[in-house]
Amino acid sequence: MKFSHRFSSLLLASVCMMSTPPLLAQGVEPQATSANNATPSVDEIVHRTNHVSYFQGKDGRAQVQMVITDDQGRSRQRSFTILRRDRSDSEAVTDHAYLGEQQLYVYFNRPADVNKMVFMVHKKRQADDDRWLYLPALDLVKRIAASDKRTSFVGSDYFYEDVSGRSVEEDTHELLRTTDNYYVLRHTPKDPDSVEFAYYDMYVHKQSFIPVQVEFFDKNNSKYRVSRALKVDDIDGYPTVTEASMENLNTGSKTLMRYSQVRYNIGLPDDVFTERYLRTPPRQYLR
Amino acid sequence: MPTTMLADKAVYFALSHPKTVARVTAIVTLVLLALAAVPNFVDVPGLKPVTVDTDPENMLSHDEPVRVFHDEAKKRFDLNDIVVVGIVNEANPQGVFNQASLKRIYDLTEFAKTLNWPAEDETEPNTDAELPQGAREGFSEGSSGETRKGVVAVDIIAPSTVDNIEQGGLGSVNFSWLMPQPPTSDAEALQVRDRAQRIPFLNGTLVSEDGKAIALYLPITSKDLSWRVSNALRDYVEGWEGDDKVYITGLPVAEDTFGVEMFIQMAISAPLAMLTIFLLLWWFFKRLVLVTSPMIVAMVSALATMALLVISGNTIHIMSSMIPIFIMPIAVLDAIHILSEFFDRYPQHKDRRETLKVVMHTLFAPMLFTTLTTMAGFLSLALTPIPPVQVFGIFVAIGVFIAWLLTMLFIPAYIMLIDESKLQGYGHAGSVGEEDHTLMGRGLSAIGRGTTRRPAVVLVLTLLVAAVAGYGITQIKINDNPIKWFGPEHDIRVADRVLNDHFGGTYMAYLALSAPQDAGVDKAQLRQALQVKKEELGSAGLNTDLVEPLDAFIASQAAGQADDFFSAVGQYVETQLSNAAGDDYYAWDELAIWVDARRQQQQVFKQPETLHWMAQLQQALVADDKVGKINSLVDVVKTVHRELLLGEEQAFRIPDTANAVGQTLITYQNSHRPQDLWHFVTPDYRQANLWLQLTSGDNRDMEAVMTRLDTFLQDHPAPQGIEADWFGLTYINVAWQDKMVKGMLKSFAGSFLVVLVMMVLLFRSWLMGLLSMIPLTLTVGFIYGVVGLIGKDYDMPVAILSALSLGLAVDYAIHFLARSREAVRQQGSWKAAVSHVFGEPARAISRNAIVLSAGFLPLLAAPLVPYQTVGIFIAAIILCAGIATLVILPAMATLLQHQIFKHPMYKHQMQKQNAEKG
Repeated sequence: MKFSHRFSSLLLASVCMMSTPPLLAQGVEPQATSANNATPSVDEIVHRTNHVSYFQGKDGRAQVQMVITDDQGRSRQRSFTILRRDRSDSEAVTDHAYLGEQQLYVYFNRPADVNKMVFMVHKKRQADDDRWLYLPALDLVKRIAASDKRTSFVGSDYFYEDVSGRSVEEDTHELLRTTDNYYVLRHTPKDPDSVEFAYYDMYVHKQSFIPVQVEFFDKNNSKYRVSRALKVDDIDGYPTVTEASMENLNTGSKTLMRYSQVRYNIGLPDDVFTERYLRTPPRQYLR
Repeated sequence: MPTTMLADKAVYFALSHPKTVARVTAIVTLVLLALAAVPNFVDVPGLKPVTVDTDPENMLSHDEPVRVFHDEAKKRFDLNDIVVVGIVNEANPQGVFNQASLKRIYDLTEFAKTLNWPAEDETEPNTDAELPQGAREGFSEGSSGETRKGVVAVDIIAPSTVDNIEQGGLGSVNFSWLMPQPPTSDAEALQVRDRAQRIPFLNGTLVSEDGKAIALYLPITSKDLSWRVSNALRDYVEGWEGDDKVYITGLPVAEDTFGVEMFIQMAISAPLAMLTIFLLLWWFFKRLVLVTSPMIVAMVSALATMALLVISGNTIHIMSSMIPIFIMPIAVLDAIHILSEFFDRYPQHKDRRETLKVVMHTLFAPMLFTTLTTMAGFLSLALTPIPPVQVFGIFVAIGVFIAWLLTMLFIPAYIMLIDESKLQGYGHAGSVGEEDHTLMGRGLSAIGRGTTRRPAVVLVLTLLVAAVAGYGITQIKINDNPIKWFGPEHDIRVADRVLNDHFGGTYMAYLALSAPQDAGVDKAQLRQALQVKKEELGSAGLNTDLVEPLDAFIASQAAGQADDFFSAVGQYVETQLSNAAGDDYYAWDELAIWVDARRQQQQVFKQPETLHWMAQLQQALVADDKVGKINSLVDVVKTVHRELLLGEEQAFRIPDTANAVGQTLITYQNSHRPQDLWHFVTPDYRQANLWLQLTSGDNRDMEAVMTRLDTFLQDHPAPQGIEADWFGLTYINVAWQDKMVKGMLKSFAGSFLVVLVMMVLLFRSWLMGLLSMIPLTLTVGFIYGVVGLIGKDYDMPVAILSALSLGLAVDYAIHFLARSREAVRQQGSWKAAVSHVFGEPARAISRNAIVLSAGFLPLLAAPLVPYQTVGIFIAAIILCAGIATLVILPAMATLLQHQIFKHPMYKHQMQKQNAEKG
């Protein structure tokens, strides 16, 4: 889903206007099914969406400008750099080979008082993720217990899980309907007590498999949270969401993320994602 | 006198055309009622349906600075009024921290989340203007949530809705819901308690300090929904098994519930008072058919006034709901004088027309003046700065006028319409000339004799009473508390006691701490600092040349608004940064951070010294034993800091640097409820808010806390020009009380003078005028002296009653003095007149006093305290005024008889009258 967007693709407008999406290089399978105009299986839609959202390329980086605006129009900003590296070398979707462990490194630039703060994640497939937080002003490396991933990401309307990606195995999926441009999926959690939503609906663009809009519903069938892809660019051949928003309809708060200097396959070494690098950030990858 | 002639003409008209008078009265009343009632059922242009306003906040007008600030600050910190729901279990040794109780509380919270409803006519438009048309085709309707009213679910404080921050395994820090699911065992339930008690924000707020009870805090979008919300909750817990007891309180609930019960009260008390007056009148004047007339006058006056109130578009407020209760006694007052006089004179004339002519002629002037003085008393309320009190004063005055008009015209007409045979044998046994052997008659004669024989004793006693009253007045405690408007056994009072016993407090007050709007920029100082930064860059081996263009840019910027300034400079460096090549990137990055850090120095509430001062302030305020709890940014920072540092107690402190505070706060925002932070500080960190929980809503207790703040600020001046301002309902009540008391005092003084002038004009004698003010002054003094002595709080109803006493207490004096002067005229001397004065006139005054004071005693049975207060006070005022008039005035008249009854005007009048008779 969200943070996801940095690795996902296509300005929505271009999505709508493009008859054929750009064929993607770098080991991405040709999207034969959609080109044939036959509806792919639910499993295929889900995994293509997941791939385009979180797994494009062997690794990637982006600078993010985040603006959180509350219901009174007061806004605050954060800027950070995200590094991501996949353990899996494959990008094959059909056999789920693209799925694998992932590493994330989020380095905060602004505001000045959180400069050099780092948030690091080791995403596991079966076990709980490992998460670290480095607070330079307290010279403190903290592990964050994995109990709940649906807490706010640095005060924004995005959750940690939106940034790191919710595992497709945690939900059951169904295709509600197909419109001219979208596959409309409904995802229902297998363990409803572990999450605050009852289900969420995802509007997946047919050609690019970008989740253009995701809507979360509570137990009373009331929509309370909406994620949107607002701008999509083609970067290094990957359709990449470069502007996205998350709105909390209950609080009236909205977070906008703008991605810049997005690059894929930059050859991030494995050891960047270790505790050692929390205190001494890998500067060459962050600028 | 021309007025008397005019009055006589009016009375003659009523006597000759009684049916017309009755018809006109009936038609006018019905038309008014229809105009007031119809708009409730069908739309009528220009007319509004009845609107009820039970919000004591409206005691202050909407543009009152205190209120404007209150509303603004509530918005600024995203605060709502709160319904407090306490769950207490006295039977279980673990209190509510057992599996079954927590399950129920979990379910109750889930239920509370659903207590909101779509707000009408408020749908937010979808504002995704950037997207091409049709781009969102197929998405489900309404991308923004509809506006809802009721419980603000996201801000509920309950075990299942708040976050817990604590140590996890491997020295990690853990953010989780405090109670994501109901516990599966009693041991787990205790863990919920222990976790909550470790968090200062929750201990004493969510969990009672004794660890036995839980309080849920339900923010509501507006106060007038609290009755609906609390009723729904009460219904929900109706069938709860087990020993959990649920208590619901908080000022919003009290205020809204009061509004609902007020109407029930109006429907019961007012008619009950009427009934009592009616029965007493019947007993005094024997003829049912006669005593019906004052009842009609009272009813018509009250109904017509209320109808006019509604027609004129005024709301029915706590104050205006009391209008009928004030109008009714005043309305029957004049009628009783007429009946009393008629009762005594009828046997003489045996002709109602003739009797009425004499009666109305005799009573016209005193009745006119009593009416005018009463109106003056109430109209003076229009000068108070409190809108509902103004409306109250004006409409009671209107009602009094209507009552007078009806008394002058309708009562004579009514008596004329009675079958004369029904009056057979009617009249007082001891009418003019005969000895009065009734208890009242004998008693009054005794008073007359006693007071005129020993006037000095009366005078001394009066002075004694005045002295004691004077002392009592100095002891008056000005205080109010809307919760105490309910009787001690009312559910809300019980809940109030129980919950304030267990928790930090159910009364909310807030203290806004605000740094000046914009601190401005000291450019010279900034550029100096930049040179220091330059040296740092140099020693780090970075390019120092880049400082020059930045310095030039800073120099070129206007220093006006700090926000604009830093935004421009920030943009400049960030642009340089994104264009930088090679190692210049790192130099620009350093400079960009430097600029942003400078900008962040404006965030005064991230500065450790500010937070230390706040902590001191908090300590000073919480020292008050009525302040149960204070929640603020300081506690948030300390708690998170402690949990980051392995949960050790010595880490429960404010970190040393602003950056450390900033990082602590961003860590806090990694929770489920990051928005909670904005209840304590604004996103620009220039305004902060202390949330005080008070165990008492008494204005005096709030004032004591306010005094503590003032003292603290004197001893510990606020850093950075921070200003402290109160807001919150508990404070608003203090603000309007303050206005009320001052306003009342002024208006009372004003109307006292007006009445005095009127008395002087009426009696054409300064001395008589001053004399007539004595019973009134003594009554008011005595009543308020008693209030002070018995320790009854001087609250809203008590304040209003000063106006009533002014209006009522002077009436008896007018009647007494006017009739005394007339008697002296007829009898030639005061000595000879005394027995006459203590005949019919004294009887009329006594009957009046007894009927009215007894008539208001049923209000004592009311469950709402302000009505009880009004009841007992009206009774006391009337009784005191009656006694003061009958005891002090004859004594004074005896002492001053040569002065007051030898006034040239009086002589002239007597001669004129004698000449007329002759």
